[in-house]
Amino acid sequence: MTKHQPINPDTTFLTDGVSTGYGGHVVSCRLSLTIKRRTRTALVGPNGSGKSTTLKTLARLIAPLSGAVYLSGQDINRLPTRQVARQMAILPQVHEVPAELTVLELVEQGRFPHVGALGMLRRRDDQAIQDAIRMTRLEQFVHRPIDTLSGGERQRAWMALALSQRTEVLLLDEPTTFLDVGHQLDLLQLVSGLNRKRGVTIVMVLHDLNHAARFSDRMIAMSDGDVVADGAPAKVLTPRLLRDCFAVKALVVTDPKTGAPMCIPHSPIFSDDQQNAAND
Amino acid sequence: MNGTDLGIGHRLGGSSRGVRTRRILVILAGLLLALMFAYVMLGPVLFGPEQVYKALLDQAEEVHHRISVWEVRVPRVLIAALAGAMLASSGAFLQSVLRNPLAAPATVGVTQGAVLGAVLALAISFGSEGALDDLNAFVPMAAIAGGLIAGGLVYVLSYRRAGADPIRLILTGVIVAAAVSSVTSFIVLVSGSHIDSIVRWLVGSLGNRTWDHLVFLVPVAVLILPLVVMVIPLANALQLGDATSVSLGLRTEVARVITLMTAVVLAAGSISVVGGIALLGLIAPHLARTLVGSDLRRLLACSALVGAIILVSADLLARVFSLDWIPFWDIQTESGSRVPVGAFTALVGAPFFLYLMRERMR
Repeated sequence: MTKHQPINPDTTFLTDGVSTGYGGHVVSCRLSLTIKRRTRTALVGPNGSGKSTTLKTLARLIAPLSGAVYLSGQDINRLPTRQVARQMAILPQVHEVPAELTVLELVEQGRFPHVGALGMLRRRDDQAIQDAIRMTRLEQFVHRPIDTLSGGERQRAWMALALSQRTEVLLLDEPTTFLDVGHQLDLLQLVSGLNRKRGVTIVMVLHDLNHAARFSDRMIAMSDGDVVADGAPAKVLTPRLLRDCFAVKALVVTDPKTGAPMCIPHSPIFSDDQQNAAND
Repeated sequence: MNGTDLGIGHRLGGSSRGVRTRRILVILAGLLLALMFAYVMLGPVLFGPEQVYKALLDQAEEVHHRISVWEVRVPRVLIAALAGAMLASSGAFLQSVLRNPLAAPATVGVTQGAVLGAVLALAISFGSEGALDDLNAFVPMAAIAGGLIAGGLVYVLSYRRAGADPIRLILTGVIVAAAVSSVTSFIVLVSGSHIDSIVRWLVGSLGNRTWDHLVFLVPVAVLILPLVVMVIPLANALQLGDATSVSLGLRTEVARVITLMTAVVLAAGSISVVGGIALLGLIAPHLARTLVGSDLRRLLACSALVGAIILVSADLLARVFSLDWIPFWDIQTESGSRVPVGAFTALVGAPFFLYLMRERMR
């Protein structure tokens, strides 16, 4: 039997005392998160803080060591995975790009969870595919092999794959890592547009704190597998968090144009040991 | 490309690649049929198109025409086409699912396993009365069993915790292949005077293949066909990586096992009748990829046709070199057997493949 959690129509994700990790290695212990529908959540934290592992656990890419993740009230690891794929799409951090696969051939596969066993695409599928290609502005690249595209176009192609799944939840694992600043903003605006216009629930891991602050409604900061700050960006992005969590001295100001909090990191803070070693 | 229709739907005007693929497949099919017809014309006695046509329709003027067409050349060319198509399809699946351009039946140990099965069956029978020859159905059966066992062994050995990682599968495959080959070599060494018929299994040969072999090959192909069709979308998703496959709602390990199993049956079935044809399972899918791309809905059909074309033309060459009336040289082994087709797939295939790679790297 699928375990049910009392369904709250406002809740997309609920984790109930989830411990995450790989194999025998525990990354975080008894994590409890509730993620509301139609919100944008950014997971931030230093390397090795457990933010990616948490996202992968929400995405069912790895199973929780204990506890359960509920998607719309149902245990995600007990639901048929195809049914989950109709509700939730994932943009993984690294992609395998088969040689000679065109943008269209990639994006068509987003319909996989919706079509029958023989994989025949219908008119409704074509609409979803065209729509995804338009939203990512890939019209002129549909018949181009993905491996001939630039990094930014390529990431848009993978976004289009996720979009053609037509899900109400989208998880993104460091989607801007390999992009230049222009393409980073482009992608994050696309994601925000999805949230605003279509009410897609967004959960993303971001490295850039200023991007996280600007493009999310809620920031969850993690350190050593624990949530150390959680709330509106203005509440989370503070000099104190930067000191405790990232070990940097930083100034936090308000972006005069967007009104989002913005940090300007100045210098790393060494632990006492490191400081002593440096003084030797 | 216009504003309302991106030219992507099959019903909305067709994609450029879809239309191109159809054209390419028709051309390849035409080429295959032409080659097969030429194959039937060629032999110790050369037939004209009209004679072949009449013999096929059972209206041959001379009985021996009908016999050499229907009993010798037709079954042999059908086996060549079907075995080539199966081997190439297997390679296409393996390259996609293992996400590795080096993947092929021979790099996951299936070829070596099937060959060992056949060689073992031959070797065991040598001592006994009425030694088995290539015509015996016991040999293909032992070969298919050998291929399946080797494939299964590679999977089990590379399984760790949640599944079998593609890189580990290839590495294990190469190692199992080497180990299995050394066992085969040992059997070859101790088998003395029967080395000739064993070597033809090692290299791959279509000599002495008859309807009996086709009757073995066709059921394997027919039984596996529905699975092939079903597995195409799974393999297509798997080639995008495990994380994306999960996002698309695939149970990755189950999908991987089903696809690998299909590939192994295709390869083992093919090898069980023609032997370990070198390079075909590796080269044919690569050639097909340059023609129609990596989407398996197109790649698979194209690989099958290319594989069939390669094996039919290679055997055509092998036969030409074995003909007495051709003023080339006449290659014959001591025991009088002809040049095996496998020698030509490697000899012609390798340089051609190298050329192709250089062209594509530019």
